[in-house]
Amino acid sequence: MCAATGPNVTRLVGQSMPSLEAPDKAAGRIEYMADLTVPGMAHAKVVRSPLPHARIVSIDASEARAMPGVVCVLTRDEVHADPDMEEVYGFVYRDAPLVAMDKVRHQGDIVAVVVADDVDTAEAAAELVDVEYEELPAVMNVPQALAEGAVQVHEEFFPIAPELRPIEGTNVCHHATIGCGDVDQGFAEADFVYEDEFTAPPVQHCALDLHAVISQIEDGKITVWTNCQSPFPLGRELERIFKMPARVIIPYVGGGFGSKSRDRIECVITAAAKLAGRPVRYVLTQEETFMTFIRPAYRNRMRTGVKKDGTIVARHNEFWVDVGGYAISGARSANNTLKVATGPYRIPNARVDCYAVYTNKPPSSPYRGLPTTQHTMSYEAQFDRIARDLGIDRLEIRRRNLVRDGDIHVTGDYLRSAHSHECLEQAAEAIGWDEPLPVDPEGKKLRGRGVSCTIKYTLTPAREMSENSAEVALVEEGVFEVRIGTVNIGQGSDTVMAQIAGDALGVGLDAIRIVHSDTYRVPVDSSTTASRSTYHMGRAVVEATDNLKPQMLEAASQLLEREAASLVFTPDGIAQADGASEDDGAAVTYGELVERVGAPLAATGDCVVGGMYAGPDGRSYPIASTFWTFASCAAEVEVDTETGTVRVVKAAASATTGTAVNPHSIETQLEGGIGQEIGPTLFEQLVWDDGGQLINAALLDYPLPTMETMPDYAPRYVDHPFEGGPFGAKGMGEIGSVVLPGAVVNAVYDATGVLFHEVPLLPHKVIEGLEARAE
Amino acid sequence: MRPFEYIRPASVAEAVGVISERGEDAFVLGGGSAAVVMLRLGVVRPELVVDLGGIEEMRGLSRNGGLRIGALVSIRSLELDDGVRGAYPLLAEAASQVANVRVRNVATVGGAVAYGEPQTDTPTALTASGAVVRVAGVSGERSVPISEFYVGPYETVLEQGEIVSGIDVPEEPPHTGGCHVKFTVGSPENKPVANASALVTVDPPSGTCVSARVVMGAAGPVPVVANAAGALVGIEATPERIADVAAEAAEEADPMEDLRGPEWYKRRILRIVVERALTCALQRART
Repeated sequence: MCAATGPNVTRLVGQSMPSLEAPDKAAGRIEYMADLTVPGMAHAKVVRSPLPHARIVSIDASEARAMPGVVCVLTRDEVHADPDMEEVYGFVYRDAPLVAMDKVRHQGDIVAVVVADDVDTAEAAAELVDVEYEELPAVMNVPQALAEGAVQVHEEFFPIAPELRPIEGTNVCHHATIGCGDVDQGFAEADFVYEDEFTAPPVQHCALDLHAVISQIEDGKITVWTNCQSPFPLGRELERIFKMPARVIIPYVGGGFGSKSRDRIECVITAAAKLAGRPVRYVLTQEETFMTFIRPAYRNRMRTGVKKDGTIVARHNEFWVDVGGYAISGARSANNTLKVATGPYRIPNARVDCYAVYTNKPPSSPYRGLPTTQHTMSYEAQFDRIARDLGIDRLEIRRRNLVRDGDIHVTGDYLRSAHSHECLEQAAEAIGWDEPLPVDPEGKKLRGRGVSCTIKYTLTPAREMSENSAEVALVEEGVFEVRIGTVNIGQGSDTVMAQIAGDALGVGLDAIRIVHSDTYRVPVDSSTTASRSTYHMGRAVVEATDNLKPQMLEAASQLLEREAASLVFTPDGIAQADGASEDDGAAVTYGELVERVGAPLAATGDCVVGGMYAGPDGRSYPIASTFWTFASCAAEVEVDTETGTVRVVKAAASATTGTAVNPHSIETQLEGGIGQEIGPTLFEQLVWDDGGQLINAALLDYPLPTMETMPDYAPRYVDHPFEGGPFGAKGMGEIGSVVLPGAVVNAVYDATGVLFHEVPLLPHKVIEGLEARAE
Repeated sequence: MRPFEYIRPASVAEAVGVISERGEDAFVLGGGSAAVVMLRLGVVRPELVVDLGGIEEMRGLSRNGGLRIGALVSIRSLELDDGVRGAYPLLAEAASQVANVRVRNVATVGGAVAYGEPQTDTPTALTASGAVVRVAGVSGERSVPISEFYVGPYETVLEQGEIVSGIDVPEEPPHTGGCHVKFTVGSPENKPVANASALVTVDPPSGTCVSARVVMGAAGPVPVVANAAGALVGIEATPERIADVAAEAAEEADPMEDLRGPEWYKRRILRIVVERALTCALQRART
């Protein structure tokens, strides 16, 4: 295992500070994908399927190829003709062809790529590609896909991740179950059993920075610039498909939220670059993002058995995730959330069934913690129904059931550093839970408060492995270069890693330089997803500094001609320890050290995770999640009973962060999560018509949250050090959004007496709910 | 975006000359808030884009027994102009609720009128204000009352070769109050589920309504004038009477189900925005 903690002295860790790159971002000096160019590059446009499901009869690209300025057109024929090009990609589920082969599986599916000297020519030529389709029946949602005799979106299954298990002959590309205790027995012992079904429609992430790629093949080597969140898995996939070395370079990224966590354009544009014999650049339009990756449609049927005192004795969850036409991302993210579907509660008898289902929607990807967000909304809404029914206070029923340190989770994991009770109390206190609610003198606007609690996993391999490494090098002028695979996606990772490295080395921020996410310049990292970087990369950085220190001491020892044991690290360099000998004061600065050694000093560090751990009973348990993040959210809403509008007046999220490395960053991550999730909770959704056409795939018709929809917000966190984390830290990037919808749904229930089973809480649905209750 | 020829004429005569000569091939660009999106999405694929932005005679706001609005005046100027805010507060209020500041800075009043989009705020308020649209063509200028200007969604009486060169708004009589109410789902920057403009004049000693005009937006294919408002003339409008008028007005509307809500819900919101606009306008007229 890697080093657990750094030195005891912390000067940078724990300080609130703005992102290191903030001044450059504010001044417009940061380059994003849209700013990058490569000499000689051509431009691509994608020919996309207008139909959700169809067989391709023929593709005629001759007119497009004949257009002046067109370099080439990539279709299935060109892919077939190249023996050194694998046809299908996907590093979690290998089911996506570079371009459509026999059929298209969603509206917007990639049929051909037109490469031209400029974007306008490529766009005009793309319209000349004549594709003849034979329309197939489409399955546009999970019930249709699971119906008897439904058309199969894929006839064969190719799961790569070992935990993924399709059901042959169906559209279920993955089904898995976990559980503990005896569920039947649990329900038999229950005084009351509650059953509910909750749903949420797809939304899109709408990152400001559009997904883009430049691909170049030169001297038998691929170089790809992209704003993808998983550079190393992408590089390996490119190497597998094209049978040549691949380098992936990620610039600063303006948000991804999961939409860029898996490849959908990088491999196909590389195929186009190979055919073109030139670098090729491709930038998705905003409209195309809606057909590239979306947050999946979700449904959860949940039965819960409780005792009269509100203690949960049994729970059975079945949830369905609509992964769309390709499972390259959605199947595993659905599976990962099996681990948290029962919530942060002590449940002796539990069973969870996860179904990831192919449909003819665009492919799904994670969305800031999804579907943990929907799980949380589901079990928290049902919990308020139970509390009201049993006449138990809503905070009290949670206090009676929340996990504590030492509990065994449904996955079998021994929970520690939970602090879920503290999160609950903090969040409730932050919005003034016990204060009287304002009363509208006209009686038209109703106020209410709600709370929700959650547990979130991080991406954890099924077997013990090191997929997280860092390198720290002492380079010229005494600067420590910290080389990490973590993608700077706006979450503040460079700053947090600089704080960790600075304290681990005992130097100031000005002695640290972060080099990030270039697969040829930094060691391996699995991805920037699942709130994993602070913990995993932070540990790797600490270990790299631990490995570097003996090298530096050895070099200083030779230079100063002193015993290494008599030397100590100072903020500026290495010096003779006080009282070590008569000539105290022998010292070398880091700058002198590297100059006199004549070469950089460098060391790597690895963070090994996964595998088994020894439980409190001495037995071995598989690790389902390297760490668990707990959080609560309390919200106050105002419901306008005339218009049905729900306004979130106040919201407070409290999360367990371990040591808060950068409190400012934690507060803004929580705030960002809440601000973003207001949309899917209150008004955002993608809408398809009866013909399977997405009708609001443009920002003109797709409402997003703005500053005007932000509630008053109070950030809180519980920062007890987490044993094993770097300086005691763990991850929390997604938790704010995860925990919001449950609190809002419950606040509306409190205000109106209507428990909504689906989001978004559109005003006309709220009116329908209020009227149904009045009857 | 498809390549196109681009010209920027310096006069109305030059603009309408080239537009009428090129016919269907020409596309008119005002501020660009709608036109550029249509070009980018390929909704229109013109051979020629005629940018009106260089025509000085279509700029400027002037008050002289009425308000003369150049077609190129931005929505933001209408919102912020002191003269408009003082004498035509209904127009300033409606302008202030259009989209967001970035859009209002580029979008023009003439463009908002000529585009004919039923889901926007400015035409609703201009219709309530009794505005007259100045239409320029090769054979000169004609004036069309805005209540006769709209034919259907995105469809106006503008003929091939004609452009909107300006809008004239008659002076409001004393003791007049106006109010524009916009209702959205989600951010207030979004397009309205419905909106309403009310313009009411009262007789001060008695407090009775001398005139009451209500226009509803996003309420049908064109801005819908609520005849029900006439019932308030000659009486002292009580909250009950206003509520009745609002309910009747909502029945006069012809809203269509779309992403912003089903028909029944839009009628409900129309009733609410009309009631709120009338109540507020009356209060302003009386003070």
